[in-house]
Amino acid sequence: MQLKRVLTLRTVVATSAGLTLASSTFVAAVQVAGYVLGDTAWIAILTGGVLCFLAAACFSELNGLLPTASGIRLYFNRAFNEQVSLTVSILYMLVVIIGVVGAESYVLSRVLSEVFPALPPYLWIVLLLLLVTGMNIRGVKIAGVFQEVITYGLLASMFALSLIAFYKVNFQLNTPFAPGGAAGLINAVAVGVFLFVGFEWVTPLAEEVTQVKQISRGMMIALGILSVTYAVFTVSMTAVVPKGELLASAAPQMVFARAVLGSPGTVWMVLISLAASVTTFNAGLISVSRFMYASAREHALPAIFSRVSMRFFTPWVAVVTLFFIALAVAGVTLLTHRYLVLVEMAAAMESIVYALAGLSVISLRRRMPEQARPYRIRGGYTIPVLTIVVFTVLSASVLAADLWVLVDLAAAFLACLIYVNTAVPYLKKKYESRRPAARRRPSRAAEDTGGR
Amino acid sequence: MQVLATHAEITDSLTVFADNYNKNERLKIMNRDWNRVVVIRATDIESLHTLILRDGVVSLKEGASENPDLTVISDSETLADIFYGDITPTEPYNNGTLRIMGSEDDIIRLDFISLMIWGE
Repeated sequence: MQLKRVLTLRTVVATSAGLTLASSTFVAAVQVAGYVLGDTAWIAILTGGVLCFLAAACFSELNGLLPTASGIRLYFNRAFNEQVSLTVSILYMLVVIIGVVGAESYVLSRVLSEVFPALPPYLWIVLLLLLVTGMNIRGVKIAGVFQEVITYGLLASMFALSLIAFYKVNFQLNTPFAPGGAAGLINAVAVGVFLFVGFEWVTPLAEEVTQVKQISRGMMIALGILSVTYAVFTVSMTAVVPKGELLASAAPQMVFARAVLGSPGTVWMVLISLAASVTTFNAGLISVSRFMYASAREHALPAIFSRVSMRFFTPWVAVVTLFFIALAVAGVTLLTHRYLVLVEMAAAMESIVYALAGLSVISLRRRMPEQARPYRIRGGYTIPVLTIVVFTVLSASVLAADLWVLVDLAAAFLACLIYVNTAVPYLKKKYESRRPAARRRPSRAAEDTGGR
Repeated sequence: MQVLATHAEITDSLTVFADNYNKNERLKIMNRDWNRVVVIRATDIESLHTLILRDGVVSLKEGASENPDLTVISDSETLADIFYGDITPTEPYNNGTLRIMGSEDDIIRLDFISLMIWGE
């Protein structure tokens, strides 16, 4: 028995890599370069990539054990309990929508303002969010071949621009192996992890592939390609433009593209940024709206979020709600210019989730020892333990470096915890009181059934 | 002792589900272009069924089908409860009791059909 529609490894790689490519990743790349000396950003980026391989190994084992579109919602439920799973999932979705939309809209508005300075930045964001919301309500997905064209096109563009830049400045590595102090390198690696945020969001495709192993293979290949691409691109940016100038800009990729190719470079980079942002917004909106729908169906969110469009079969209430949340987040970010806090908050949250994934692998090996695992990490507990230690240290370093990130994340966690402990029981109770008293399924009390 | 539903009970639940679906004109119109083959497999007893959605109408047959679009896998009790509408598919799906293989959009559509037939 074989499913009719199955995804290929190429699509899995494109989806995994495509989910991480965003306009704000260029800002994160420059932040990484800012923490280390000379041309050593590549060390931090490749280290970040290698560390993400640890997390990818954990996600691969979890995904093979429990192949589901629910992802961490199910992994953490089985590994810990319902309360932990729901609290972390809601927090994660909250941080994703605020972090990704806030940082991404800010960076993109700067990109577009450079080309069309007469139009207010917020207008661009409203238009873009309207486009993505419309696509989501109509159920238009950037998937399959289209996702492949965008992802591989973006990666090829980044490589091409880097090579042109290297050629133009007759590039030679400057102190490539001396990144400076340990603190700077740790922070660089921690922010470097943000470059790979979202690679594991490909795990919901587990139910659409012939072999679950394709997901783990796809994640690993995507991480490898991304590590090299980001490392080369970041080094080329700092080779052409002084770090100080890049760090001072909210759209450093524009500064770089203009320095390399002038106006054609600017147009090229606008197209790259637009493609990266639209796919990111779209992926974020799809994931979070589906999460809201599923949570409403299990009575963890108000029932209104389970409303589905009669025409397009999409959770339109969740999508429209997210549109307004995104508008508010983008507005606040444009007013306060605090987009870097959002980048760091997303990096910290992602590191926490990766550490919990490592913990889940250990917990589930004890709780479900007999369950088949198509992918099992070799070397016993070494990699899961390393994942826990490494990502705990990285999240702690991000939180310690900026008090605002710590305060914001702690407040969000507290709000989610209170919600899960008060509002969710209320919603479940309300649902129970509305349920029909009698079951529809006939009672088997008097029946003699063979299956018992 | 673990309680198991019988194959006949799963058949009955699917018949009730299909009948309720076919009585709902709105659902039939909405799904007139959604031609899908859905296999339902129990994990704890020998039980395989196929729901065929064609031109908006659902039909049920016993046994599996080659190349389904969706495969719904769970224990017999959960399957019977879901198709009778006594529980929503989301809860067993989120706790891992229910597994559905297929595209995410098709999974949501199937859940939505259940919502339209049985309510929240």
